[in-house]
Amino acid sequence: MAEFVAVSGAGDLEEGEMQAFDVRGTKIAVANVGGTLHAFGDTCTHMACSLAGGDLEGTTVICPCHGSEFDVTSGAVLQGPARKPVETYETRIEGDSLEVEG
Amino acid sequence: MPQTFVIVGASLAGGGAAATLREEGFDGRVILIGAEPQPPYERPPLSKEYLRRESSFEQALSQPLDFYAENGIETRFGVRVTRVDAAEKVVELDHGERVAYDKLLVATGGRNRRIPIPGIELGGIYGLRTVADSDRIRAEIAPARKAVVVGMGFIGSEVAASLRQSGVEVTVVDRNTVPLRRVLGEEVGRVVADVHRDFGTELIFEDRVAAFEGAGRVERVTTQGGRRIECDFAVVGLGTEPVTDLLAGTGAKIDNGVVVDEFCQTNVEGIYAAGDVANHYHPVFERHIRVEHWQNALKQGPAAARSMLGSDEPYGEIPWFWSDQYEHNLQYAGFHTEWDELVVRGSTAERSFVAFYRKGGRVLAAVAINRGRDLRRSIPLIKAQEEIEAAKICDPDVDLRTLAGAPSLR
Repeated sequence: MAEFVAVSGAGDLEEGEMQAFDVRGTKIAVANVGGTLHAFGDTCTHMACSLAGGDLEGTTVICPCHGSEFDVTSGAVLQGPARKPVETYETRIEGDSLEVEG
Repeated sequence: MPQTFVIVGASLAGGGAAATLREEGFDGRVILIGAEPQPPYERPPLSKEYLRRESSFEQALSQPLDFYAENGIETRFGVRVTRVDAAEKVVELDHGERVAYDKLLVATGGRNRRIPIPGIELGGIYGLRTVADSDRIRAEIAPARKAVVVGMGFIGSEVAASLRQSGVEVTVVDRNTVPLRRVLGEEVGRVVADVHRDFGTELIFEDRVAAFEGAGRVERVTTQGGRRIECDFAVVGLGTEPVTDLLAGTGAKIDNGVVVDEFCQTNVEGIYAAGDVANHYHPVFERHIRVEHWQNALKQGPAAARSMLGSDEPYGEIPWFWSDQYEHNLQYAGFHTEWDELVVRGSTAERSFVAFYRKGGRVLAAVAINRGRDLRRSIPLIKAQEEIEAAKICDPDVDLRTLAGAPSLR
């Protein structure tokens, strides 16, 4: 059973924005794409840069360091140099706050 | 009769072109020929994480080993093409075999420039281009050993950083006043120099190597300025030159590489070029440019393959590259050889900035240190080729994405 952890502040993200949160010791990025929140591993699988420090274009997150691109809905690599996908996490809204599978 | 497309250069550009031919549905023969014994791989790690033993060669491979066979791509690795016979449409291999082609892509890349410095033939002196080169340097790395790095371009700077990070004592000799001066200029070069000094690398500028000395192996480097630097090994990074010899006699225009149009096509029917070797007509900069970087090889190879299949889409990617040195991430986008104004957004003292190379009010290129997001957001400004107010570019409250017409970053 997946356990859900409340992520304070993630509910305030505006459309097109993303932010990294520490969820039980794991850096998880949350992106707001058209009102839907997507949670994924914040650490780029190429050289460990924070993806939330990059850009979000639609459902694509672009790493600020070396330009790797990932699909925030699936974690898949869309463009190297990264080879390995990032994790994605289930999200749910409980009351006013966002909860991420952690 | 199925067509045969031959690709010379089992490189990032060449391998990518082969893959693209199949992705686009080409059902003829694809023959990929490379001088190195390995299948196509990515070179950026060779001066960085691979050199520091933080990543494996397998991680650098462009495709899984079985990719080529699975996709019906015939490979000849460890074989050099000595000559192209454009009249007969045949390439000649170094063991005498002749391979006929209907269309040919030249993706032979570059080779390290050989500078006739006395003693350069001694043991323990390396260039860095291939994984074999990187392996030879790796074998020399051990804490407290001493190395001299000659030339502080991108390869020299990255190697110096990786050696230092691996505990080697490093001295760099460069003829300019700062690292990367030719590309980045004095102001940005100074920032890079300070980063290297902070890590204890000794930098000797405005000096040149007079000789490598030693009995069989290099033991010291002497400079024209009178320095004597004891060392255990040396790495020379004084630039590369495009490998174009195979096209001699074909009539293909050679000028700073293989001259191609915006479709990566040479002046000889059926012959194309891509990657480091190609001097390509860039539709945004409206001039020929030759780019020796990863992204260009990654994207221009496939673009050339599509042209070979009849596509009429010009290749117009804005050149972009990164260079990681110590914990700092440097990125560059655009193309410039001269500029009349450098506009800085952020702080060079804090090593967090983007510097814009402008000419006549237009942004030709930008370099960022630890500001990757801003750098990517600068690419549309470069693409737009519009005059943009310097004050707006520098204003940290102005989102760079709002300054150029196109909202997309690509």
